[in-house]
Amino acid sequence: MKKLPLDGVRVADLTMMWAGPYATRILAEMGAEVIKIESPRAWDNIRTLIPQPGVEEPWNSSYYFNDYNRDKKSLTLDLAQEAGKATFLKLVKHCDVVIENYRADVLDSLGLGYEVLTTARPDIILVSMAGYGKTGPERAQVGFGPIIEQMSALTSLTGYGDDGVPIKTGLSYGDPVAGMAAVTAAVLALIKRRKTGEGTFIDLAQREVLSTFIGEAFVAASLRGETTAQRGNREARYFAQGVYRCAGDEQWLAVSMRTLGEWRSVAKALDLTEELTDVPKEARLDEVDRRIGAALASMDPQEAMERLAKAGVPAGRVLNTVDIHNDPHLEARGYWVELPHPRMAPWKQPRASWQFKEAQPAMKRHAPLFGEHNREILSGLLGLSDAEIAELERLEVIAGAPVNPGIG
Amino acid sequence: MHEPVLSGVRVLELGGSLPVAFAAKWLAGFGADVVRVDPDSETLTPDEQVYLLAGKRRVSASFAVESLALAADIVIEGDQLGSFLRRVNPAQLRRQKPSIVVVSITPYGQDGPYAANQATNITSFAMGGIMSLTGMPQREPLVTGGSQSQYLGGLNGAGAAVTAYLGSLIHGEGDWVDISIQECQAGMLELYGPGAAVSGVPSMRAGNHVRAQWAIYPCADGFAGVCALERQTPAFFSLLNDPELAEERFRDPLQRPQHDDELQAKCYAWFADHTKQEILDLGAQYKVPFGAVMTPADLLGNATLAERGFFDAVATPGGTAMIPGRPFLGLPWTPGELHSAGQDTEEVMGEWLEALS
Repeated sequence: MKKLPLDGVRVADLTMMWAGPYATRILAEMGAEVIKIESPRAWDNIRTLIPQPGVEEPWNSSYYFNDYNRDKKSLTLDLAQEAGKATFLKLVKHCDVVIENYRADVLDSLGLGYEVLTTARPDIILVSMAGYGKTGPERAQVGFGPIIEQMSALTSLTGYGDDGVPIKTGLSYGDPVAGMAAVTAAVLALIKRRKTGEGTFIDLAQREVLSTFIGEAFVAASLRGETTAQRGNREARYFAQGVYRCAGDEQWLAVSMRTLGEWRSVAKALDLTEELTDVPKEARLDEVDRRIGAALASMDPQEAMERLAKAGVPAGRVLNTVDIHNDPHLEARGYWVELPHPRMAPWKQPRASWQFKEAQPAMKRHAPLFGEHNREILSGLLGLSDAEIAELERLEVIAGAPVNPGIG
Repeated sequence: MHEPVLSGVRVLELGGSLPVAFAAKWLAGFGADVVRVDPDSETLTPDEQVYLLAGKRRVSASFAVESLALAADIVIEGDQLGSFLRRVNPAQLRRQKPSIVVVSITPYGQDGPYAANQATNITSFAMGGIMSLTGMPQREPLVTGGSQSQYLGGLNGAGAAVTAYLGSLIHGEGDWVDISIQECQAGMLELYGPGAAVSGVPSMRAGNHVRAQWAIYPCADGFAGVCALERQTPAFFSLLNDPELAEERFRDPLQRPQHDDELQAKCYAWFADHTKQEILDLGAQYKVPFGAVMTPADLLGNATLAERGFFDAVATPGGTAMIPGRPFLGLPWTPGELHSAGQDTEEVMGEWLEALS
């Protein structure tokens, strides 16, 4: 069996919420051993973000937490206590990468900044992924994905275009984008370490990463002083484009006609009047929308998409969060996988998006229960005695359950 | 100054698509020798070309693509299954050169019923699930600004490329990585993806208001937002300075959703009274996650980004463009110059094909 690229790499994962755990999920998919570290007093909020009244141990029963933390191990450590810090530094000796997405000042305030980590392991790689980075006047700002999106300028570009209202992406978009960048940073630092033997401190600002996703808008602003307009669902580079309601509840189809020829193909496929010469140029797009909209209103979206695909026209259903789990293409590619979990019935989870066709990354295990691997790591990896582990328990540096768990 | 991490690594960029160009851009910035085979018909806009092609050598050499590919360490390509123009055979390349990494970034991946379907940014965004969550509930689903599904494919491609390259260094063998832009999105649907998988009930688009303390509001000089978790909600409420917020129906996270309209009204009033900068300053002071809707022009003048040296200057025939540069600090980054189409054909043919022979 071919080895995964990160086979043999060990990661100390201090991340929480979505951006960091998304990064470390990918690292785990690529073969790294990821040890997720949470404090009994400050656990990953995602465990308890969604209220589950009446559920025993809700922190171990969150499908949201599970989707982004599978294939990891769980170690509890209260880093605010000296014994927790000392244990963490013992662990760092055995790790290649430490990754964290605390607010910019937190790791240093804990006394665990990069310089301290290098005393435990000189060639350690630290990936810090604060919202605005470790330096600069905005470093004290607190940022989650939707905030990052606003501050990156992406939100200013999104909108229907007729009311001047900027619209956010329907999820915390800044998080997974920063997560992917953090993976790339960690791997590049591993390549550097292989070449030079040196560690690296990566200072990743989530806002900056997301701004790299709208580079052309910065070209327009800096070269010509242009403000990129909110364009709704249209696209200036194409002949026409839109999103059209289909038969059924909240069923929609996105269609791009990159050229006049593709509009003609759409017209033929949907039996529409093709000729537009009688339509004033400024009304042409509205007329295209009207004709397609009228034809699709009574048509099944899947049938419409397949008909347009056959005609060589880009068309895609606006798959909702249920339909995407039943999409025939994703099903044919084995994208959704069900993993057993000790507390929950199986559900469809996404497999790795990076399909290494030879090494074949595969999901192995559900997300860890809180502190599930405490003994394995403390005793097996760090060589702590039973008495030393018992002392950490007494001090509540480690625990099998969060202290005073609430919601969020 | 250390030499760039990917110094000496040869990357061939094939296909001309935005995802492929973005993936290769990151590798170029971190020191790789990126050669772009220019497509016969350019699909990037002029502004996208300035942003995505700076730092790359450019060849027009469709006749020698297979040889160039064999001379590369990493090939990033975007040709779809069944494409008449498919220029390399990744499986064959892998057999011929065991160390090589091939990354294919396409709308639907290398197999499955839609693999040959045409796609654009919006159709990929729609098929990835994020679009169903985006936009106002009373209007149609909305595509986000720029070309987000394409950039997502590109960043996944960059990450996969360097990961496979590291694997090649460690284990001696590369791989062929199949990146489907649809899958890149389907696996990042936050809580909404697993939620629907469990409940069978789809989440619907909610505009700018997930809930009152997770929303964007008009403010005194534009738009600003808040995303307060439960632990940050008391500090946010203290800023709103409204005695009613001490009542149990607002304090209890299980009761609060039933009074969301009322809470939103209070938020509208508070945000309208404050400027973006006032809101951001209060956020830093009280540890409340506040944001403000900034424009690219705002960021070009942003003090943090200036201090951190975020932007690269690129000389263009129309003047100097400022573009997002290194995605993070810690590794050497090389801002690149913009070359014209086919400018480096002779030079690259000489260097790369000579090395091959």
